[in-house]
Amino acid sequence: MTTPHLTELRGGRIYDPQAGIDGEVRSLFFSADLGIVAAPLDQKEVREVLDVTGCAVMAGGVDIHTHIGGGKVNIARMLLPEEHLATRTQRGAHPHLGSGVATPSTRTAGYRYAEMGYTACFEPAMLPANARHAHMELADTPMVDKGAYALLGNDDFYLRTLAAGTDRAVLRDYLAWTLHAAQALAIKVVNPGGINAFKFNQRCLDLDEQNSAYGVTPRQILLTLAEDIQALGLAHPLHIHGCNLGVPGNQETTLASISALEGLPAHFTHLQFHSYGSEGDRKFSSGAQVIAEAINRAKNISVDIGQIMFGQTVTESGDSMRQYAGSAFASPKKSVLMDIECEAGCGVVPFKYKHQNFVNALQWTIGLELFLSINDPWRVFLTTDHPNGAPFTSYPHLIRLLMDRTFRQEMLATINPEAAAASHLGSLEREYSLYEIAILTRAAPARSLGLTNLGHLGLGARGDVTVYVDHPDRERMFTTPKYVFKAGQMIVRDGRIVATPQGATHVSRVDYDPLIERTLDAYFERYMTVRRSNLMVSDAEIEDLGGSPLIRHSPRRRA
Amino acid sequence: MGRPPSWSHFFSAGNAVLKLSTPTAQTPITHGDVACPFCGLLCDDLIVRTDRLQLTPLANACPKALTAYAAAVPVGQALINGKSASLDQAMQHALRLLQKSQRPLLAGLGTDVAGLRATLALAEKCHAMVDHLHSAAANLNLRVLQSRGWQTTTFSEVRNRADLVVLVGVDLNSNYQNFMRRCLAPADALQPARRAARRVIYLGPVAQAPRDAAGLPVEIIACTAAELTSTVRALQGLLAGQTLNLARSKRRTGLFALAEQIRSADYTVLVWASGQLRASDGDLTISAVCELVADINRTRRAAGLALGGDDGAQSAVAVCSWLTGFPSGVSFAGGQLQYAPATFNTARIVADDLADLVLFISSFSRREPPATQLPTIVLAPPGFKGATAVDVYLPVGVPGLDHAGQLVRADGVVTLPLKQLRVSTLPSTAELLLRLSAGLHGRPRQ
Repeated sequence: MTTPHLTELRGGRIYDPQAGIDGEVRSLFFSADLGIVAAPLDQKEVREVLDVTGCAVMAGGVDIHTHIGGGKVNIARMLLPEEHLATRTQRGAHPHLGSGVATPSTRTAGYRYAEMGYTACFEPAMLPANARHAHMELADTPMVDKGAYALLGNDDFYLRTLAAGTDRAVLRDYLAWTLHAAQALAIKVVNPGGINAFKFNQRCLDLDEQNSAYGVTPRQILLTLAEDIQALGLAHPLHIHGCNLGVPGNQETTLASISALEGLPAHFTHLQFHSYGSEGDRKFSSGAQVIAEAINRAKNISVDIGQIMFGQTVTESGDSMRQYAGSAFASPKKSVLMDIECEAGCGVVPFKYKHQNFVNALQWTIGLELFLSINDPWRVFLTTDHPNGAPFTSYPHLIRLLMDRTFRQEMLATINPEAAAASHLGSLEREYSLYEIAILTRAAPARSLGLTNLGHLGLGARGDVTVYVDHPDRERMFTTPKYVFKAGQMIVRDGRIVATPQGATHVSRVDYDPLIERTLDAYFERYMTVRRSNLMVSDAEIEDLGGSPLIRHSPRRRA
Repeated sequence: MGRPPSWSHFFSAGNAVLKLSTPTAQTPITHGDVACPFCGLLCDDLIVRTDRLQLTPLANACPKALTAYAAAVPVGQALINGKSASLDQAMQHALRLLQKSQRPLLAGLGTDVAGLRATLALAEKCHAMVDHLHSAAANLNLRVLQSRGWQTTTFSEVRNRADLVVLVGVDLNSNYQNFMRRCLAPADALQPARRAARRVIYLGPVAQAPRDAAGLPVEIIACTAAELTSTVRALQGLLAGQTLNLARSKRRTGLFALAEQIRSADYTVLVWASGQLRASDGDLTISAVCELVADINRTRRAAGLALGGDDGAQSAVAVCSWLTGFPSGVSFAGGQLQYAPATFNTARIVADDLADLVLFISSFSRREPPATQLPTIVLAPPGFKGATAVDVYLPVGVPGLDHAGQLVRADGVVTLPLKQLRVSTLPSTAELLLRLSAGLHGRPRQ
């Protein structure tokens, strides 16, 4: 006797780029236990049929780069009570009270992502010293799967080991150990060597400049990290926030950084902030075309854009060097800068992007130009570098800008006219298709992170599914999906949250020589103010205290 | 947060030495890398011996910690109106009081991260106001943070980078007693030249100047508590090239010398402890320090460092921020969260008669609840002095002694795991609060 357990979505148009399915009308079957399954032989297995005729059916959205949990996010919350007072949720709107849009409280972030059809979010800047805290916040972020990237490449242990040039295996073991200790999914570098250099009063560090304390250059750090990550076999390549973020003319650094990788896989994050020329009267111009061409040629590189949107937000970054420079433009006039634990730093600077401001308007066009000029959607992921370019809640608006040229031209007409005139944006005719949006927002980021059961609708997928009512206004369509399912369970119906499951935490586990722990024990005891054993976040802290099942991705180490 | 914590397998492999003693263990066990929960420094290099229920720090504990470990009583008795009761009876009574209350205040909040999560869950369920016992000190910092921001650093940076450290009215004799040893006077540093050059300057009343500087040269620039802000401002003026409007005095000479030292230092750290500043104008002192740091950073490197976070205060600010968006002074009473630190603090709430019940948590230091006629429920470890004077006393364990847990360190970045060092029968604060939450009927929507 078959017990009915499956949900059937009937009549929807399926967009599943991983399988090459582009709007084909067919049923989708899944259950909470099994995830997505093939059509059952016996219809009695179907517990409920939901008619989604005319709707677009996609996997749950995957955000590869969103600052939603950890020290700097929490500092931003404390810094900006005015934003939180203005954005408090009403009792009953969500299962729990909360506040904030640019830096939402943790549960509110989870609810809003789910309401938008996203079911997995990745915090891109976790300091190992702050990893326990970051995971506590992620534990209190319901509805979505999550994970985080550990920051390396500014920590004194890495730099002095690299400078000593002794044993490369030590660095690889250190990377693998860090993934384990911080419960991280991937490795990120921010302003390679520059955050450390700022502690020694260097105010900029270009690709081939030496960090004054250790004599190593950003180029060396990038190449070494990228090589070692490949050797460890991690799915996601080195996640790079490059040198000279936000500096006019930084396109040259970005081009040189792409070359510096010598063909190794790498991900350049919030590319918009790294695509600036220095031409014109204001010595600030778009480098989007040059950078897009370079990305089109460099098949080893993936990017996310970090689109800006006009309005109030707060920028938060590990890049204390560049955030210090940016603090002069804080709005409101306050900011937090930190040097942190011989690992890295952080900077939190509130910012208001104004559509009549030449620089901000050009930033807006540069991001869109990059989206529209990079040809391969599998190497571009949709982000606003939440909240640095804009809060993640602006994704539906961004999707409309990408899909609807008429709307884009209307918006272009409202920005600073000099910036509009200086931009190629008006001449770009490309409109993204739903299929391409499905690539940018789920299939490609999931594949890049090695998440085999997310981002697609094939067999073996967990059953994270979003159903959108097709509407010519794509912003409206992507703001409020009809249904959202997490691991086969309905969590949102017509914009209302109906269940609040706890998502899993994704981590990478790579073997390392346990001798590295002895080396680190000595290092921590001699120099640090925590013990190596106490820095490590245990599995039980994530699973039992945090209530999030761990999903361990274990690539085979190659060297 | 998910299901209630299961403490027993809290630690992963690699901590094998820290496996718990069983209740029947007769042989003493020595625990290494123990994080001490008794002040915001969370020194995690203690070695503690467990002999049955007796805990004895063998190394690296400061005098304050030694006293606290010695005073941690492992068995307790629940009380209702001063009379012995079973824990279940006392919990039932507490639940009835909470159920009746229309305007509860959850105060003290001296607990770990799990306890704070449970506190906020209970607060949301019963529409309570919440306030930590050190919120006045925390709010001095938050006022400065929220008005101008700051540039700060963390313990390991100070230990390795600083060549000049200025203690702004910080009394390291009565609290933060390991700060010198752990952060200022280590044997070695990543930049040995910085460590070798390190100078410590104390600014403040002579009586509170560091008595033991672990071999570091300490210079004292004496001023009264009331003069702290003007002294920092004078220093800031000197660095900006202004003439100094101070009478010829040792203070004046000292400030001239300090300004010169700052001009040539590579990494100056200015340390304050908001709980040791005057409540009336401590925020002005902090603000002056932060401005001075910002001035120095225009050409050299400097950073502030706030000591504090005792009784889980740093954790309270952190957990409250991420769960509500607001760091302290929050009320769940209305249709949306209310944030008003000047109103929702225990002293004001009691004085203005805003609450009709107090639930007070002090699981580290057994502080006294506010003096009030209101029905009062106290969660504190055994040995809490006012136990017979309150409506309900619920004995709880000390996080990091009786049960495992997590806390945020004073610098706001590092979090430490707390180990269970002995097997007592005392429940954790989180466990009791979650039980109260589960037993409470929801309130109607407002």
